[in-house]
Amino acid sequence: MQTTEDIALKLTRASEKFFYDVATKITWPQTLDASDWTMSPELISLFGTEVWETLSDAQRKKLAFHEVAGFFSLILHGERPLLEGISHRMYLTEKNLNVLEYMHHFLDEENKHMMMFSGYLRRYVGKVYPEKKIAIARPMAKGEDDAAFFAKVLVVEELSDFYNIVMGQDERLPQVIREVNWTHHVDEARHIHFGRRYLSDIWNRSAATWTATEKETFRTWLVDYVNASWRDFYNPSVYRDAGIEDPHAARDEALSSAVCRAHRQKASQKFLENLVDSGILDEIPVLA
Amino acid sequence: MNESEIRRQLRDWIVSRAKEKPDEMVDETPILERGILSSLDVVELILFIERIKGDEVDMEKIQPEAIRDVNSIYQAFFGS
Repeated sequence: MQTTEDIALKLTRASEKFFYDVATKITWPQTLDASDWTMSPELISLFGTEVWETLSDAQRKKLAFHEVAGFFSLILHGERPLLEGISHRMYLTEKNLNVLEYMHHFLDEENKHMMMFSGYLRRYVGKVYPEKKIAIARPMAKGEDDAAFFAKVLVVEELSDFYNIVMGQDERLPQVIREVNWTHHVDEARHIHFGRRYLSDIWNRSAATWTATEKETFRTWLVDYVNASWRDFYNPSVYRDAGIEDPHAARDEALSSAVCRAHRQKASQKFLENLVDSGILDEIPVLA
Repeated sequence: MNESEIRRQLRDWIVSRAKEKPDEMVDETPILERGILSSLDVVELILFIERIKGDEVDMEKIQPEAIRDVNSIYQAFFGS
């Protein structure tokens, strides 16, 4: 079996091979036609709801424009603490120089992603949707801080990757949307490979010293975190900007819709299976 | 909506979200410290506040102490 160091060496070679300059990577058109699809309709958070059925084609496309901006904002906010947390741990808790070399690529690529998403939002939307989180410390078992951090990293990467893969290949979307999504996906495929292994290592090290209750507390928190992360995809500010009459009611409906629930479960499936394979979860949870 | 109605709605919402229902829920009950809500409920709480305010909350102005209990929530989000 490959060690984490072997994986890091391999991923470093791939990052070097696919290295790019973010300033020239994306071809940014002067304007974006917001009256056409800018997000795959099947991925729009209200898809399959009664509200969706009441919208005209033009209203759906307007929602797509704001929804993709909300999605890029969400990733941007997810990557911000990721950069902070990785750089905080480098040379402190992680001392293997080969793993660290890959972490430098990881940081470099995450910074590029932030520039890319920010570049899109600055050019075509004029704002970043704010996040509504407040950081509140909670009591943790020994080593749980690292496990929770890398689990959070994986959640943002794995869920966004599901969307990036679909939109990166969706020919209904403008080239710039496909490029941004695909560029993110190509880097994230490496980050996810590394992140899965790194989290598994931390789990094996830390959880070995935890009591059954501490393991159960972590598992409960992780499933709650995945559910909370999904709820972030349903943004009333996006709905308001798209002209949805009652943004909060639309969100309520989408969160409880069977179609939307099935989508969340499907989009999370590979990620959840991996957590079970790693022993981090003991079974695939039914998401809210 | 007047102050007492806002406070009642906040209390009701908090109890409805609680994993373990508190024996007593008053405006001084510490909601995070007692584990009535977790940090993962905070986004939902903010969205509920926006819903009853009818306006978006500017998160830059909000500190963690603002969500200690119903009193602090009312002061931070609805106080003049």
